[in-house]
Amino acid sequence: MAYGDLIYLDNAATSYPKPGECLRRALDQYLRIGGSPGRGSYDLAVEADNIVSEVREELSLFFGGDSRYRLCFAYNATEALNTLLQGVAKPGSHVVSTWLEHNSVLRPLHHLREEGRVEFDLVRFDQNGFVDPGEIAAAIRSNTRLVVVNHASNVLGTIQPVADIGEICRDRGIPLFLDVSQSAGLIPIEVSEWNVAGLAFTGHKALLGPTGIGGLLVSQEVEISPSRFGGTGVDSSNPFHTAEYPYRLEAGTVNLLGILALRETLAYVKGLNRDKHYQREMALLARLRDGLMALDNVEVYGSQNVDNRLPLLCCNVRGRRPDDVAAVLDGDFNIAVRAGLHCAPLVHKHLGTAPEGAIRFSLGAYTGEEDIEAAIQAMSAIARSTG
Amino acid sequence: MHFEDWSEEAFEWLAKESGLLQIDDRHWRVIRFLRSFYAYNRRAPLHRQLKEGTGMSLLEMEGLFPSGIKTGARRMAGLPNPKSC
Repeated sequence: MAYGDLIYLDNAATSYPKPGECLRRALDQYLRIGGSPGRGSYDLAVEADNIVSEVREELSLFFGGDSRYRLCFAYNATEALNTLLQGVAKPGSHVVSTWLEHNSVLRPLHHLREEGRVEFDLVRFDQNGFVDPGEIAAAIRSNTRLVVVNHASNVLGTIQPVADIGEICRDRGIPLFLDVSQSAGLIPIEVSEWNVAGLAFTGHKALLGPTGIGGLLVSQEVEISPSRFGGTGVDSSNPFHTAEYPYRLEAGTVNLLGILALRETLAYVKGLNRDKHYQREMALLARLRDGLMALDNVEVYGSQNVDNRLPLLCCNVRGRRPDDVAAVLDGDFNIAVRAGLHCAPLVHKHLGTAPEGAIRFSLGAYTGEEDIEAAIQAMSAIARSTG
Repeated sequence: MHFEDWSEEAFEWLAKESGLLQIDDRHWRVIRFLRSFYAYNRRAPLHRQLKEGTGMSLLEMEGLFPSGIKTGARRMAGLPNPKSC
């Protein structure tokens, strides 16, 4: 089945299509130097390892890191966040996070609390979808070891005031980590300038890479214990997992093909005029928002303007289940959107849209005006058919 | 209800329970297609396959069943619950 004519508006789940030339170049490199990085002294393995090290550096710089930061690869942001939370949790420790989080933060926190390894508090967001830094400050306790904040909500698209939160965390001596799954590649991220101790990212969203590659950027001031153990290519006589970074938080051979692909797409993203692209996508979002808000029977959630947002929004057709609206959009109008809770149940609880959730339109680098007009027309047809 | 336990009586009972009081040929067309597709493929049809197989738009189909397609028609046809998030 061909998807050539598909109007793809689910870029918050994963970007599609991918820049094919980048992936083809990565595959060519992999076929040429696809040895085991860091696991041998022959040139092939050393060259592969050198490239992995270069990509660590490139990613760290891309996120505004300096020499204090180390980059550890993971499969995706969820794995990176698990590594972070499991590595910080100790009996008696406390974590502050928010109601905006994805299950990649919420579920590890709940599991760790059940095991008696952590306590946590979640700060709520306001009616426009923003967390108040003052409430983060108020939630910090004497035993707080970590603050984790979703840089940009995958449901509302709201970009959180992380520089202000970073200042609070710096003054209180608490490391702040960001989940930049949605924001990385779309808007600038400056960990050092914002007093952010680290972040978890995935490569397959706005960084335009393939699935299966992401990572954790960590400042050396933060102590994270390894939660998985195994081969690292260094310190093999040690019966315990090495403490040396980045291997401390990586177990087993890294995803070299994914790393090569991410290097290519990262270069591609860096080569774009990101601000211009962001403004273009936000103008399209504003048009979509206005078009949907003008429809009877359609409710659009979140802030009433598109300031400090990413190019996505959630809505519902009154009286219609969101999963069926998404099915109609796909089957009848060839438009791909995501319906449901978007793995962020607390956001929908706050919005009053749980348990069915909502329909999410998320724009991307290849979204055009005609796609937005088609989406508005399709939603208009669905809304009109609602009695 | 397991797929194999389904019966026309079960469908009619589930339909009534969901508020569908008048079952006509179009409802049967959807239910029979869902069942025959699942029996052969052991999975639910894609949206396009459902549309082609019934000759109806998804919008029309959605309007036929008070609880919609995913949790209405599918359930009444005895298919497993759709994967949802």
